[in-house]
Amino acid sequence: MDKFRMIFQFLQSNQESFMNGICGIMALASAQMYSAFDFSCPCLPGYNAAYSAGILLAPPLVLFLLGLVVNNNVSMLAEEWKRPPGRRTKDPAVLRYMLCSMAQRALIAPIVWVAVTLLDGKCFLCAFCTAVPVTVLGNGSLAPGLSAPELARLLARVPCPDVYDGDWLLARDVAVRYLRCISQALGWSFVLLTTLLAFVVRSVRPCFTQAAFLQSKYWAHYINIERKLFDETCTEHAKAFAKVCIQQFFEAMNHDLELGHAHGAAATAPDGSAAPTITDGAEEEREKLRGITDQGTMNRLLASWHKCKPPLRLGQEEPLLGNGWAGGGPQALRKEVATYFSRV
Amino acid sequence: MEKFRMFFQHFQSSSESVMNGVCLLLAAVTVKMYSSFDFNCPCLARYNALYGLGLLLTPPLALFLCGLLANRQSVVMVEEWRRPAGQRRKDPGVVRYMCSSVLQRALAAPLVWILLALLDGKCFVCAFSSSVDPEKFLDFANMTPSQVQLFLAKVPCKEDELVRDSPARKAVSRYLRCLSQAIGWSITLLLIIVAFLARCLRPCFDQTVFLQRRYWSNYVDLEQKLFDETCCEHARDFAHRCVLHFFASMQSEMRARGLSRDAAGRGREPPEMPSGLDGDGSRKAHLRAVSSREQVDRLLSTWYSSKPPLDLVASPGLWARGLNHRAPTVAPGTRLSPHTDV
Repeated sequence: MDKFRMIFQFLQSNQESFMNGICGIMALASAQMYSAFDFSCPCLPGYNAAYSAGILLAPPLVLFLLGLVVNNNVSMLAEEWKRPPGRRTKDPAVLRYMLCSMAQRALIAPIVWVAVTLLDGKCFLCAFCTAVPVTVLGNGSLAPGLSAPELARLLARVPCPDVYDGDWLLARDVAVRYLRCISQALGWSFVLLTTLLAFVVRSVRPCFTQAAFLQSKYWAHYINIERKLFDETCTEHAKAFAKVCIQQFFEAMNHDLELGHAHGAAATAPDGSAAPTITDGAEEEREKLRGITDQGTMNRLLASWHKCKPPLRLGQEEPLLGNGWAGGGPQALRKEVATYFSRV
Repeated sequence: MEKFRMFFQHFQSSSESVMNGVCLLLAAVTVKMYSSFDFNCPCLARYNALYGLGLLLTPPLALFLCGLLANRQSVVMVEEWRRPAGQRRKDPGVVRYMCSSVLQRALAAPLVWILLALLDGKCFVCAFSSSVDPEKFLDFANMTPSQVQLFLAKVPCKEDELVRDSPARKAVSRYLRCLSQAIGWSITLLLIIVAFLARCLRPCFDQTVFLQRRYWSNYVDLEQKLFDETCCEHARDFAHRCVLHFFASMQSEMRARGLSRDAAGRGREPPEMPSGLDGDGSRKAHLRAVSSREQVDRLLSTWYSSKPPLDLVASPGLWARGLNHRAPTVAPGTRLSPHTDV
C-alpha cells in the first residue's frame, strides 16, 4: 500500500508530472475516441466538405479546451494575473511561463486527433472526393459528357461503397487509394513537422535566457504549491473550528443540565464540574485554530490573502490586518536569516 | 482493507474531491448504461418521434435526479437554507455557492448521455426520419406522398422488408446521422467554451467573496459531519451506560432479595459500579450530563433551531438562565490569553 500512496503522492507533489500524466491519458483517450467514433460521410455534394472540416477541427478544439479546463493552473494563472499587487510584485515572466507550459500540454491531445484522422484517411476522402482528377485516373473521355453538378453528385458518393454508381467513369478503388495516399502523406508530414518543432524548441531554448527560465519555473512552482498549502491549511482550520464549536455546544448543554440537577438538591455546584473540562484533545484543536476564532476574522484573513499577499521574504513578522492583530508594539528580536528577493 | 481505508481517506480529505469522485462514477455508469441499452425504434409514423425524443430526454432527467440524490451536499445545502437563524446569521451567498456546485456536478452525467446519444445518431434518426424533406433526395421522385411517409417512418429499421438494401434509406439515414453528429459536436464545443470561460474569468470578479464562500460552505459540510460523529459517540456512550446501569441494578436487586431471604447476612460488599463506567469518563465529560431521551431530543432540536455562533471566544452559554449561574466562575477575560499570541 505504501507503493500506491507513494505514487499518488509523487504525482500530486509535482504539479508538472501530474499534468504530464493527465496529458498522456487525454492523448490515449483522443485516439480511443477516434476509433470509437463512427465516421459517416454524408455523400452529398455540399455537405461533404463541411462535415469533414467539422470532424477535423471541432474535436481538436474541444480537446484543447478540455486540456485547459482540467488543468488547475488555469484558474491559478487568472488569479495571479488579476490580483492586486499588494506587498508582492507581479512578474509577467512567471505568468508567461505558466501559460506556455499549460498550452503545450493541452496541445498534445488535439495533435494526436489530427494525426490519427489524417493517417486513417476517411476524413480526407470525404472532403476531397469531388476534387479527384477524373481525366487522369478514370475514363477521361466520358467526363465532358456530364454537367458539373452531375459530376459532383457522382463523385460525392465515392466514400459510400453501397451507393456509388460511377464505376463506368472512375473505379472507386482507384479514387480511394489515390486520396488515402495523399492523406497519409499529409499525416506523416504533419507528425514529422510537429515532432521537429518540439525538438527544436526543446533543444534551442537553453541557448536563450536560461537563467530567467529557471527563475520563472521556480516561482511558478512556488505559486502552485503555496496555493495548495493554503487550501489545505484552510480545510484543517475549518475542521478544528467545527470540532471546537461542537464541543462547546455540548459542554454548554452539559453545564446547563448539571446546574439544573444541582438546583433541586440545593447544593452548590462544585467548581470543578462547573468549569468546562478542557481535555487534551480540545487543546490540540485550539492550537490548530492559530488564534482565528470567529467568522469576521476568518473573512478578513481570506480577503487579505487575495488583496494583499505577503511578501516573498521570510524571517520577518509584520502585522497583517492593520490594527494590532499581533498585539501591536515593537516586534521581538529579528533573527538573522537570508532573504530571497523576488525580482526575476 | 488497509487499501480501501487509505483510498477512502484520501478522497474524503476534501468534500470537493468526494463529490468529484461521485460525479465521475456516475458519468462512467452513464456510458456503460448507454452502450448496453438495446435501442429499439418502433418504426411507426407517430411513435418514432415520441420514442426517440423520450429516450433522448428521460434518462438524463433520471440521471440528474440521481446526481442530486447521490450528493450529500444537496441535503446540507437545503438544511442550511431552511434553518432558523438563531445565534448564527445566515449568508445567502454561501447557500448559492453550494447550490451552484451541486447543480454543476449533477449536470455532468445527463450531458454525457445526451452527447453520446447525439454522436451515436440512432435517437436522432428515429425521432426525425419522418420529418425529412423528401425533395432533398432524388430517389423519392416516383413515390406518392403516403408511400413516402411510410418509407420514411421505416428508415431507422434496417432489416424491415420495405426498406432493406434500399439506397434511399441509406441516404436518408446517413444525412440524419451527420446532422445528429454535427449537433452533438456543436453542443460539446459550446459547453466546453462556457466551462473554459467560467474557469478563466472567475478570478476577475469578486475573488475574495469567492474564497470566503468556499471556505464557509466547506465548513458547514465538515461541521455537519462532525456533529453526526459526535452524536454517534454520544449514543454509544449512552447505550453503554444504560446497559451497565441495567446489569448493576439487576445485580443489586438480586442481592437485596438474597439478603432478605437469607437473614444470616453474608456480609457482602455493596455492589460497586463497574469501573468501566468511569474509565473513560474523563474523555467524554461533556457528553455525560445528556442522559435521558428528552434531553437528547432537546439537544438535537436546539442544534437545529439555534446553531451556536461562529465565535469560539465568546461565552458559549445556550440559555440566559444558565449563564447567570456560571458567570462568577468563568470570566470571559481569562479565556482570551491563550488565543491572542500569534
